[in-house]
Amino acid sequence: MKKDELDTLVICKKCHTLHKKIRIHKDTKAVCSYCNTVIYRHTKHLYRTTLALTFTALILLLVAFSFDILTININGVYKSLNLQSLFIMVFQEGYYLVGIMLLFLIVIFPIVILVSIIVLLILMHYKKAGYMVKRLLILIAKLQHWSMLDIFFISILVSMVKLFSYAQIELEISFFSFILLLILDIITIKKISFNELWILYEKIYLTKRRKK
Amino acid sequence: MRNYNLIRCPICSAVNIDNGDEIRCRRCEEKIYPTKNISYNRTIAYLLTAIILYFPANIYPILITKQFGVTHESTILGGIMLLWQAGSYPVAIIILVASVFVPILKFIFIIYLLIATKYNLKSAHTEKHKLFYITEAIGSWSMIDVFVVTILSVLIHFTAVKILPGAGATAFALMVFFTMLSALSFDTRLLKKEKD
Repeated sequence: MKKDELDTLVICKKCHTLHKKIRIHKDTKAVCSYCNTVIYRHTKHLYRTTLALTFTALILLLVAFSFDILTININGVYKSLNLQSLFIMVFQEGYYLVGIMLLFLIVIFPIVILVSIIVLLILMHYKKAGYMVKRLLILIAKLQHWSMLDIFFISILVSMVKLFSYAQIELEISFFSFILLLILDIITIKKISFNELWILYEKIYLTKRRKK
Repeated sequence: MRNYNLIRCPICSAVNIDNGDEIRCRRCEEKIYPTKNISYNRTIAYLLTAIILYFPANIYPILITKQFGVTHESTILGGIMLLWQAGSYPVAIIILVASVFVPILKFIFIIYLLIATKYNLKSAHTEKHKLFYITEAIGSWSMIDVFVVTILSVLIHFTAVKILPGAGATAFALMVFFTMLSALSFDTRLLKKEKD
């Protein structure tokens, strides 16, 4: 079997059924014939949409990280939750392992993912630094499992429910920015398939190399 | 086309020909999987670590409440019972599912997949792939409990009343970490073995 022939095939990520690729219209998706999972899409303005959405997500992430998430009021005593206070508490009380895990899962990995998407899209636009783009795409693929912002947000909701009976809760800026961020996250990370980016990468860099 | 063993690269999702040994993906040039035995043993090692950590995670308190000098410690199950008694059923169910059922389900799924590949149990390999996909997807949700404990201990931090994370929280976080590693190091090529 030739290598070009392999390019016409695609394997479903969920049930690993082998499919033959077909051309699809813009803004449509191809689903697995066996388990109905989306295998690939054809996004209209893949490059522009992704760049815009990721940039917005990065701004929202920075807002979410620098302001208060929520403030509680127990009989006139106020206490607010933000990332700084979270890490100060964790490290002061000596929970280093939990602290380091939180730091990576909530702060570092999401930022790294978003920044590397932006960098690789810009590099792709100018068709430069193919190796760097490849490394970034691999990095994103590996880190995807380890970004836990969505779980952190659900945890905020759960702790709010736990505190309802004791305290008055006021929602702050970061809370709303978290909500918007998660909506964007679902669109960017889950909807815009990295498969498409890989195909774009192949088109831009690998074909050039083969011609040489 | 049937003669070839085709596999999907877990990183860039390109289709590759599997020759049964260590291969590099033709698109991203990353190692797809190490030799089968290594990844099999690695999965077992991570899984065992996670199972061992599961016990301290449940036995040690995950939450310590200090109220006017009186210390009260509660484990994961104790916390769920308290929530249930307090009447917040949805939250109790979320935490029960996320921090008790999900880890156990993951253990069972991975053990089943390991046994199924070892003894070539006959069941459709697409079903096994689906099971593996679910195992990967639900893994990180167990972290909810650890996050909730840290958030609560930031908010309830007064001189008279204090909530602190207990030793169970560290063990639990590590357990989730190792179950995720175990799932990630599992070689999906093993699932296809029965075909040839």
